[in-house]
Amino acid sequence: MIMKFEKYFRPESLQEAIDLMKEYKGEYKLLAGGTDVVIRLKAHALRVKTIIDISRVPELSGVRIEDGKLYVGANTRLMDLSKNPDVVNSEWEILAECAGHVSSTQVRNVATLAGNNVNASPSADTTPALLMCDAVVHIAGPDGKRDVAVDDFLLGPGKVDLKDGEIVVGFTFPKQKENSQAAYIKFAIRGDTDIAIVNAGARIGLGADGKVSDARLVLGAVAPRSIRMKEVEDFLIGKKATEAIIEEAAAMARDSITPITDQRATAEYRKQMAYVNLRNAMTEALKKLA
Amino acid sequence: MSNTTENANNYIGKSPIRVDAYDKATGKGLFASDYFKLIPDLLRVKVLRSPVAHCKITKLDVSKAEAIPGVERIFTVDRSPFHMERLPEQVRFPIDGECIWAGQPIAIIAADTLEHAEDALEAIDLEYEELPHVLNVYEALDPNPKSVVDPNHGRSGTIDESNPWAKIGRLDVVDSKFAGEGVSPNIIGNYVLDKGNVEEAMKKADIVVEGEFCTGRRKHTHLELSSAIVTYNSDDSITCYGNGCGIHGVIKSAFVNIFELPENKIRTIQPYIGGSFGDRLAPYIEVLTAMMALFLKKSCGYQYTRAETFEGAPFAWPVYSRVKFGATKDGRVIAQDYDCVEEIGAIQNNVSYTGRLSSSGAVCVYDIDNIHMDTAAVATNCMPVGAFRGLGCPESEFGMEVMMNKLADDLGISPVEIRAKNFIKNGGHNGYGELVTSIGVEKCLRACADAIDLETPPEQDGSVWKRGKGCGVGGKQNTPLGRAEAIVRYYSDSSVEVLISCDENGMGAMTVMAQIAASVLELPIENVKVIKGDSIVTPFDNYSASSRTTYTTGNAVKIAAEEVKDKLQEAAAREVGVHKSKVIIHGSKAKILGSDIQEIDLATLFKNTSPYDQGNWGLMRFSPVEGHGVFCPAPIRKWGHDGLTKRMWNWFQYAASAMEVAVNEETGQVRILKIATSADTGNPINPKTVEGQIEGGSILAASYMLMEEPIFNEHGAIINKGLSDYRIADVLMTPKNDNFISLINPDPLPDGPFGAKGMAESITIPIAPSLSEAIYQAVGVRPMYFPMTSERILKLIQEKKAKEAENK
Amino acid sequence: MNSFENYITVSFEVNEKPVTVFTAPNRTLLDVLREDLGLVGVKHGCDDSNCGVCTVIVDGKATKSCCMLIGQAEGTKVTTIEGLEKDGVLHPLQKEFIEHFAIQCGYCTPGFILAAKALLDENPDPTEDEIREALHGNLCRCTGYKKIIEAIEAARDDMKAQA
Repeated sequence: MIMKFEKYFRPESLQEAIDLMKEYKGEYKLLAGGTDVVIRLKAHALRVKTIIDISRVPELSGVRIEDGKLYVGANTRLMDLSKNPDVVNSEWEILAECAGHVSSTQVRNVATLAGNNVNASPSADTTPALLMCDAVVHIAGPDGKRDVAVDDFLLGPGKVDLKDGEIVVGFTFPKQKENSQAAYIKFAIRGDTDIAIVNAGARIGLGADGKVSDARLVLGAVAPRSIRMKEVEDFLIGKKATEAIIEEAAAMARDSITPITDQRATAEYRKQMAYVNLRNAMTEALKKLA
Repeated sequence: MSNTTENANNYIGKSPIRVDAYDKATGKGLFASDYFKLIPDLLRVKVLRSPVAHCKITKLDVSKAEAIPGVERIFTVDRSPFHMERLPEQVRFPIDGECIWAGQPIAIIAADTLEHAEDALEAIDLEYEELPHVLNVYEALDPNPKSVVDPNHGRSGTIDESNPWAKIGRLDVVDSKFAGEGVSPNIIGNYVLDKGNVEEAMKKADIVVEGEFCTGRRKHTHLELSSAIVTYNSDDSITCYGNGCGIHGVIKSAFVNIFELPENKIRTIQPYIGGSFGDRLAPYIEVLTAMMALFLKKSCGYQYTRAETFEGAPFAWPVYSRVKFGATKDGRVIAQDYDCVEEIGAIQNNVSYTGRLSSSGAVCVYDIDNIHMDTAAVATNCMPVGAFRGLGCPESEFGMEVMMNKLADDLGISPVEIRAKNFIKNGGHNGYGELVTSIGVEKCLRACADAIDLETPPEQDGSVWKRGKGCGVGGKQNTPLGRAEAIVRYYSDSSVEVLISCDENGMGAMTVMAQIAASVLELPIENVKVIKGDSIVTPFDNYSASSRTTYTTGNAVKIAAEEVKDKLQEAAAREVGVHKSKVIIHGSKAKILGSDIQEIDLATLFKNTSPYDQGNWGLMRFSPVEGHGVFCPAPIRKWGHDGLTKRMWNWFQYAASAMEVAVNEETGQVRILKIATSADTGNPINPKTVEGQIEGGSILAASYMLMEEPIFNEHGAIINKGLSDYRIADVLMTPKNDNFISLINPDPLPDGPFGAKGMAESITIPIAPSLSEAIYQAVGVRPMYFPMTSERILKLIQEKKAKEAENK
Repeated sequence: MNSFENYITVSFEVNEKPVTVFTAPNRTLLDVLREDLGLVGVKHGCDDSNCGVCTVIVDGKATKSCCMLIGQAEGTKVTTIEGLEKDGVLHPLQKEFIEHFAIQCGYCTPGFILAAKALLDENPDPTEDEIREALHGNLCRCTGYKKIIEAIEAARDDMKAQA
């Protein structure tokens, strides 16, 4: 269908973007790559008067490592992220891996890291990476800057902690725990082109005693947003990660979720796949540690 | 020129490059949807459709919509001057305000821009009361169904005699379990076949196997959106540019029948079309667009959205089947008891469907002495169905082939040998009693089995991915679908035009016709230009369906080219002064026997012309020698109450496949690791395009048998009406190139052009049973429903494990 | 309804020629390429960036033009299928698609050729798996994909030989 917005702006600085958001308060939508926003505009699922294209805002770009932390600008394209050597060969490798699972080449070439996260899709591929790495979201707005932990940033389907007038500037990935590894599995019918039926991420750290000292377990597409399995993480900590314990942990996760039935899968299948794929993700993370 | 009589320009069985390839590789070739750019002053059309499967409209107010600037008078049933009962089922408007499927058209809008048309669509005030609906064969067969689909049911409706199909496929009395007292009022057609005595034969059988099968609804999903542009011309004629099939036999004939226009006031043009697979055989968008153009007397253009291709265009019909075989212990099948029901959607005035189309697949492969078939068609509140590559045979033969695999497993006979024991042989007769003149199915099957080493069990790697191998075969009738004509023109410089009206859905028909013409005329194929698809230029052809094009249009082109040759022979004979039998045409030369002139250039027969050279009789430059070919297979001979006849169809195409799959026993996912598929094409005219059909057909079939399925909401509307969640195979589903084998094993068709026959449908049939068997060999469960989604396969695995645990 | 005051001017390069359009902003790059510039070799097949027939190359990257606003094209270099044939010589991909029968209905062909070109420009020697990974955003309903991959492999080899 014909898109219904009337005005289009392409600010060239963060301040200009913030000023535009102020001017068109309540009736704008930010667009970075547009791979999601344009589809929703065409479906009339999104009706706004003004599009602010932030793809040329220089303050939103850049990938760098500073003080042992990884900084990724909001506008970083997922294809670039999936191939960035600083990320691929780092303790945040899982971020590159997840970015490489988003849809197809054409979409990854254009879609951005912030875009993939601010629309808060429960099946987003990079959100589990942010959760597994305890990423911090940097936000700028009319009243200055603020930082939010990613787990607090995600509110529900399509909802994030971003007020009218605010914009995501970038993400910081803190130094990851020693001796920890992460794995991610996208479970979909055809492959990456599809929206996942379930996705599962696991970061596991082992202590000197060989027992689990740290865990980040994430499931996507089984709840209104990508969720951390905190109870299951607590269960794992302090235990030796045997096959039986991993299976028990995955079963706990499966029993704690209440997914929906939709055109992609039934709730029951989602639960079963959450078990299989979370177990496999944990096993793979452990394999990487070995 | 050489002195040998061998044809240096014989292109039969060679693979010259496609005549349309350059156009398509450069973006220069225009498709139907590119014409929106070219037609001036074009109104854009949108259609209001029923949002639910069954409802009574209580309010339809278009006044607000008509008030939007740029919006023309909106078309509704009560404003219609047309014979609305003559509209094809897919665009039939509600009778007395009762909508019977989600997607049924209610009103047509035309506006100066697409945006205004869309705004008007939103501004129409529609209110309705929802009614109960039936969405699948089981609900529809209930003797007291929740919904009786046809609003005219019980009223004295008669069959529209103007419909050419009206007399086909209906018998007043059939002895069927689906007819008579106490059956569902939604059953609206029957066909019964009785051969020998099944009851007696079953008693004599050493082994009996039986299974029930059901297949899903599948969508053609051609990539170009359905499009039609109908210009309203100054002489009150109309011109239609569209990607629909059958410019004469489907679209023009529909316009004449519905709108009662003179035949010379309609021009239909088919540019390149972005796929059909049977979908574009039903004239739906063309009829809606023409109706609006005639209603407004203005030019209108309409392009479906991707969502509309799911709600406003036909699906293939799902088939329920029950298959029971009785066999001797050495594997000879002696009895076949077979039921099938075609679920045909919201068709009201059914004349086409009786179960006969689908079940044709169940009697054309195996030579079985005793057959009882009882078949029916049942209506539901789904989109009215239409043809899809295979015409119900991939559905009906699924059960046959799965049962054949089971019989082989139960008897401990190889699935290849058990089939070889039962195949119809060339010169034998099929279940109807028809003579079979070409059947290469056994060669196909053996070649596929060898290619994947079927008899050797696959190696297991100890992971959750279990491997298995399986095979299957398929046969598909060619329906005698009437006439094809062709014109071949030979110019003085030996350049040639071939004028045809068959459809080029992508299968390579234009290239095949060029090859046939070039081979008959013994000229380089570069000399041949194919002109196609303009009803005031190119001669009648019914439409490209039932894999008939190579056979029917091919024969017409061959006849036309032979007529050209005959005329050239005569002209050369006159020139030299010999009897025409003494002249042999080889390309641009004529060889003369019995004359001092041994050879002449045909070019010399054509006189030059200028405005001052009056009185040029005989052959002349710029005025080509023209041959007109007409070919029409013999019609069906009406069958009796036993369903038997010596001519139910025309000829039969065959295929086989064998594959190795891996099944994840924890997730139900299936991967095709290696596949070999073979077609019996008759003599292939262009082997490379045949390969393309084999590969494309294999993946298309694997795609719908593993993944494709519309999902309905509680209102009976499809929710996954897009390519995101109605998933068709992407490149990752295709096995690696070395593991994807296509084979051609022809049995020449005596009456085909150069022994060729069609093949594109049969290739899709063996894929489902091969998959089902390979899955069974891998994980011990036999899917009897498709699509065999991961979720369904996992459920079967879990049920099997639960049963095993119970039995312990 | 858009009034002219909301129109935007967008300057970019298409097939190595500069282009400036003055347009309502609520249009996609696909709309402008097809409707304003007459480049109808760029196709439209779905409304949600699934089918890939609208693929063009933007600044060296394969992009689905149906999901890019025209405003986003400002300052970019766009290549469509019309820009591949040079001085009457087909691009190796075009030549090999023709010779390998990788074309049936042809509706997906321009998108496939451009997605493949972007791949080969970036990685001149991709494996069969790398080709598949680069192409799963393009659907084809006719060919079963095998001949498309063969054509791309052949073009890869042609281009390596020429290099």
